[in-house]
Amino acid sequence: MWKSVFYKEWLKTRWFMVGYTLLGVLCIGYLFLTLKHSFAFTGGKNVWFTVLFQEQQFYSLLKYVPLAGGLTIAVAQYLPETINKRLKLTFHLPLTENKVLLQMQAFGAGCLLISFLMFGGLFTGFSLIYFPIQMVTNSVVTILPWLLAGFAAYFMIALIILEPNWIFRFCYTLIGVFFLTIYFNSAGATAYASANPVLFILTALLSVVFVFSAYRFRKGEV
Amino acid sequence: MEKISRYILVFIAVLTLAIFLPKLYWMAFEKPVWKPFVQYSCINNDFMIQRIREKKWMDTKGKEYSREEYEQTLPMMFFKQLLASGTMPDSINGTALDMRAISREKSFFRLKASEIDAPCPDLYPLFESWSGRAKLELPEDFFRITWRIEFIEASTNKLLEEKSQLFSAALFHNGFSFPAKLISGLPTPRKTCDEGYLIVDSKDQLFHLKMIKGKPFVKKVDIPEGVKFRHISCVDFKNKDFYAYLFSDKNEIYILTQNDYQVIKWLIDGYDLANCDLKIFGDLFNYTVAIEVNDRIKMIALDKQFQVVNTYGEEWPVKEDMLEGRIFASLFPAQLSMTSDNSKFIRFYFSPSNGFNWIFVNLLLMTFHFIWILRRKAKLKNHLADLVIVVLSGIFGFIAIHLFQNKFFD
Repeated sequence: MWKSVFYKEWLKTRWFMVGYTLLGVLCIGYLFLTLKHSFAFTGGKNVWFTVLFQEQQFYSLLKYVPLAGGLTIAVAQYLPETINKRLKLTFHLPLTENKVLLQMQAFGAGCLLISFLMFGGLFTGFSLIYFPIQMVTNSVVTILPWLLAGFAAYFMIALIILEPNWIFRFCYTLIGVFFLTIYFNSAGATAYASANPVLFILTALLSVVFVFSAYRFRKGEV
Repeated sequence: MEKISRYILVFIAVLTLAIFLPKLYWMAFEKPVWKPFVQYSCINNDFMIQRIREKKWMDTKGKEYSREEYEQTLPMMFFKQLLASGTMPDSINGTALDMRAISREKSFFRLKASEIDAPCPDLYPLFESWSGRAKLELPEDFFRITWRIEFIEASTNKLLEEKSQLFSAALFHNGFSFPAKLISGLPTPRKTCDEGYLIVDSKDQLFHLKMIKGKPFVKKVDIPEGVKFRHISCVDFKNKDFYAYLFSDKNEIYILTQNDYQVIKWLIDGYDLANCDLKIFGDLFNYTVAIEVNDRIKMIALDKQFQVVNTYGEEWPVKEDMLEGRIFASLFPAQLSMTSDNSKFIRFYFSPSNGFNWIFVNLLLMTFHFIWILRRKAKLKNHLADLVIVVLSGIFGFIAIHLFQNKFFD
């Protein structure tokens, strides 16, 4: 049955997923094109110096890319479900309601994970051409909260979209927006090193929260 | 499952509110704290205090001065102003004043706690110390210290094996134990000259490393028995008296003199690397050390032989002591913050509120919620966890449980 659920979700999100992944890959391509240009025109030593000692994050272009992914996939996946309350049809499938919901969520999160792994692989691979492993590791540690923010945004948007009451939807949006800012504090490279495990746990916890608004949705809370 | 997801949401909301409500409160109500500017006067042999908000200048006995009189008591600090107004003395305490000597001996050093608890770079440029050029040039390669010292060329990202072996051998033959615990230098070409790096090895030994004509210069520095340096700040002062300020894990301050490599301890109490802002003003006659914490300052004047000649301390009320701080401590049981004045790391910094007034507010909110449950004729046992959340987290929990309502589980 999970294959059917995944197929249904795939039909809804495939073009958004492909489009977003392509845009992300283009962003990474542009990023390393800029870096190549900087190496050629200002010299590798100056690029390294600004990265190491002037807190210049050459990858700052990627800051909101994962967030955009979370937003895109969540809207593509859940907004159609709220139109004419189509989600209620899903609840007639021969599966427990929460199981269907979690399969839907697993599909979306899995799509994001595949995109992010692709971005991470490309970023790390290209970075290792220009920088030693220590600098690349530091970059990955710095990018990690942004990637987690992508997942957190996806989970929060799902919660907000499925909430049936507009007042609560607004309140959840407020909490969601404030919560997401904790992933984006301005800081130097690796400043998030000790916060990352906590953020990982918080993000993992968020993965099941949309069950709450889905519950309200199917019970018809207004 | 729905219940678990609701409690997770309540937890996330409490966390979010505990970060942002206190932040918004202080943005709305915080008032600036005006700290005094204190300097040691070689004329009065006393500390001179400038109270910026009141526009008052005074000494430690409370005697007030005009601005001009105040500046005349601090000729090393305001020598340009005194020269302009023609009131610069010819000599002080029998020492003739030479402008070049004043300028050479003038120094300023500042170290914040957040610079100590901060991410460190993993690679450093090793400049050519005797390049023969008027200006320093950024080298083409950067070094890292792992099981040996390795130089990597930036333009190609390739390891320079020969140079790495040469420098590793030099360090090894001088007794360096890899890897390094601490690497400190001035990794910028904007300095008067290059003195390389001070490096603490894995056995807490101190080494001086620099590159002279492409060859390694390594000097092991004798340090007092049992001293472990936690932070080193290299300096580039005009007088070239010392290489660096060194800070031990026992909050002691040392200097490393230039060329003869003497490690000299300054007899200064009250400094804590974890939360103090340290300023050291050097001039022709004294070093004035300012140790500033959130609510107080301690000033210590040293002579040129680094002996303490005078001290002064002052405290002031902080925001927590003021009316808005007391209201804050009643409203909010605690504050969470992602940033700290004492660190450059992003973490979840938890600060409980002063006093216990917040307990009454928490209980009051719990009572409101209890009445709300009774009026809805809901089952109390379904709301026990919510009541506990309100008692523990106060206003944060109260808002959170009403945002994510326990309505469906009755």
